Amino acid sequence: MVEVSTPVRWALRLAAVAYVFFLVAWPVALVVRQTFSNGLDNLIEAFQDPHVVNALELTLMVAFWAVVINTLFGVTISILLVRYEFPGKRLLSALIDVPLSVSPVVVGLALLLVYNGRDGWFGPTLEANGLQVIFDTPGMIMATCFVALPLVIREVVPTLTEVGDDQEQAARSLGANARQTFWRITLPSIKWAVIYGVVLSLARSLGEFGAVKIVSGNVTGRTQTATLMVEAKYQNFQQGTAYATSFLLILVSIACLVVVAVLRPKHP
Amino acid sequence: MSIDVSGVTKTFGDFVALDDVSVSLPTGQLTALLGPSGGGKSTLLRVIAGLETADTGRVTIEGVDATRLPPQKRNVGFVFQHYAVFKHMTVAKNVAFGLEIRKRPKAEIAARVDELLRLVHLSQFSHRLPSQLSGGQRQRMALARALAVEPKVLLLDEPFGALDAKVRKELRDWLRRLHDEVHVTTVFVTHDQEEAMEVADEIVVINDGRVEQVGTPDQLYDEPANDFVMSFLGEVTTLGGVLLRPHDVHISTTPQLAGAAEGTVSRVLRVGFEVRVNVLTDDGEDVLLVLTRTHARQLGIEPGVRVWVTPASGALTVPSMKAAVG
Amino acid sequence: MTSALAGVTGAAAEPASREGRRPRRSRRATPRNTLTKGAALGLGVTMVWFSILVLIPLAAIVATASENGWSQYVATLQNPQTWAAIKLTVGQALLVTVINIVMGTVIAWVLVRDRFPGKAILDVIIDVPFALPTIVAGLVLLALYGPNSPIGVHWANTERAVFLALAFVTLPFIVRTVQPVLEELESDVEEAAASLGASRTTIIRRIVLPSLTPAIAAGAALSFARAISEYGSLVLLSGNLPFRTEVVSVRVLSFIENGNTASAAALATIMLAVALLVIVVLDIVQRRVSRRG
Repeated sequence: MVEVSTPVRWALRLAAVAYVFFLVAWPVALVVRQTFSNGLDNLIEAFQDPHVVNALELTLMVAFWAVVINTLFGVTISILLVRYEFPGKRLLSALIDVPLSVSPVVVGLALLLVYNGRDGWFGPTLEANGLQVIFDTPGMIMATCFVALPLVIREVVPTLTEVGDDQEQAARSLGANARQTFWRITLPSIKWAVIYGVVLSLARSLGEFGAVKIVSGNVTGRTQTATLMVEAKYQNFQQGTAYATSFLLILVSIACLVVVAVLRPKHP
Repeated sequence: MSIDVSGVTKTFGDFVALDDVSVSLPTGQLTALLGPSGGGKSTLLRVIAGLETADTGRVTIEGVDATRLPPQKRNVGFVFQHYAVFKHMTVAKNVAFGLEIRKRPKAEIAARVDELLRLVHLSQFSHRLPSQLSGGQRQRMALARALAVEPKVLLLDEPFGALDAKVRKELRDWLRRLHDEVHVTTVFVTHDQEEAMEVADEIVVINDGRVEQVGTPDQLYDEPANDFVMSFLGEVTTLGGVLLRPHDVHISTTPQLAGAAEGTVSRVLRVGFEVRVNVLTDDGEDVLLVLTRTHARQLGIEPGVRVWVTPASGALTVPSMKAAVG
Repeated sequence: MTSALAGVTGAAAEPASREGRRPRRSRRATPRNTLTKGAALGLGVTMVWFSILVLIPLAAIVATASENGWSQYVATLQNPQTWAAIKLTVGQALLVTVINIVMGTVIAWVLVRDRFPGKAILDVIIDVPFALPTIVAGLVLLALYGPNSPIGVHWANTERAVFLALAFVTLPFIVRTVQPVLEELESDVEEAAASLGASRTTIIRRIVLPSLTPAIAAGAALSFARAISEYGSLVLLSGNLPFRTEVVSVRVLSFIENGNTASAAALATIMLAVALLVIVVLDIVQRRVSRRG
């Protein structure tokens, strides 16, 4: 391994630390400090605002369903991609990643064009049958599912590939059927990858903003999520509430990161 | 017959792994599928286990047509080259797996696991995770796991291939003794002819997707069906257009026997008690001989000495069809 | 989130070696169907959901944009406000990507090869932009670079704000793609080069950087694609001033809010195409480099 000279090493170290400090660490710390600039007042005020509580509940509900759907979908697709051969597999594996490079605004627009009740492709038919997608929770869940779609798959596919199918074949030869093999062998061996995927999806789902803004209609107290609430409160000069809500979101996202960071090295 | 394979063909894309293979493996014996890597022997084992489905042909296990049965309904034990241990389960849980799948009573499972772990000398490791075992221990655990479900046949795919030479030799002897104890019909795949000769009751030589010969180790060694089997089962050399074993070449420093080829010793190599001699005949053939040290000294074999070589009387020879592999 | 692109390309293209012990492995390249009944059902259900969620909606964008043929695109692009937004977005995204290539590689190097107290914290902080809601990212940057800046830097509502927001959200991409490659880079290769008389700079230039290039390219592609599509972090920070700090996503949103879905769809299609183009081009670069290496 090449050893760089001490001054160069210090220069690189300083550059890296300073860049991350000014770009991420200090700004985040400032928001946390401003949240507590009046002690716990900001947090108390926020929790006393029914709209904030409502927004937090809605965010949790939407994120929960999006994570559940993406986990089921992600594990299924991962197993199909790794364990089976079928025509179009390569294309599917490329398409799975598309949501990562699509702007949240474009996601919102895409869902709007298909599911809006006025002139969408499917919207009017669905609404005639009593299912409102746009400006309601189904649309918000879909938008969240869309943006977080590849996260579980990206964690599970490499693990599934690395584990190989030897253990599954051994289980089959010992008399386990497909269902037993999945629950007793496959799932336990990808457990940690699924958990990482779920945690990352959760962080992404709780924080989605652009796509949800478009499909939800952003109605305060009804379809306003926590992130939309931050924008509204900040622009209404209720910055204390905006900071408090942001603080909660920062707390959850950093908790997610710490969970992943703590678990990962033990189960490479 | 315990396992009957008839007319099995298996292709992967345009690669023919098995080409119309038919073979019968008798009950209660230890059979080796022997052949070079990529010759189709592992594929044959996996077809018997149901881990691969044959394109054509039939597989019958203990009189039951198993051709269309999924692996879990064939009641075969399968041991994988890389152990395929269940990493998240303890040793005991690994061995108990097949029994739990079959919903046997808890007490019965515990007793059986205990018995098996004793059989494979792993009793004191029952609560360890597989990652805490050595390669040889893992393979013994995998064997116990396969035996737990009392399979009609036990299939082992290069079971010792991933182990180092010393452990491999130990496990080989141990497998032989274990088979003498439990007497389950056993088939194992190997590319090591020494392993096959030492352990198996019967050997099936497979090459290029075809069965070259079936027989006991002695039959194969003494009566090889063709030059491939002959050269695969031991060292060979060519002399006057025939294949023969290097120790079956008669050498003398005077023209004693009619028809002996005259040549010059080109190289002498002493390996332990034996001496390996290369003779370049005047016809341009490079003949390899193996002599004892005493014999070589008596004859005064040294590079440059003129010698006469001929197949010894009673030597096994096979016409050389293609260039010798050995 | 490591080896972002590599995972995708690697999964589909298994090396086809003829010499494999088990021929079944070497023959996977030929497209064939190994789906069981259950797996086929699973594939069917997931494909229906994937179509409902992703494929049909994205198709709807392209279809809506193409209703009036090319004229829709021409009209959208000729709008000077839109054109300014595109120029700003692409320009800042490129700038941020270049900065990321340098800083991302430096940070990855420091995380792998340097040792100092607090390095583990640095490692976790790198991921914060991945996990932080984008709107909160904007709020956070506003705290240090906004009107109440404790260091007197007032960049809100300027082009610099756009740069800051994009740099923030794209920070992890190159770090997280380069880091694992650097970790696995065998030090004996470097030692071999050193034993052959190569100097430190030569080793870095000829041995280390070439092996990092595919990872850097992959990270840069993701970083650029993310940057041109960013929205949430800019809402509070950049002020969305037409001709000055308005980015393409904001433009699309205002088209949507004005009910001009045709223009919104046209601009969205262009964004999709640019993102796709960059990923394809850099994927080709990456393959070429990795084949040569």
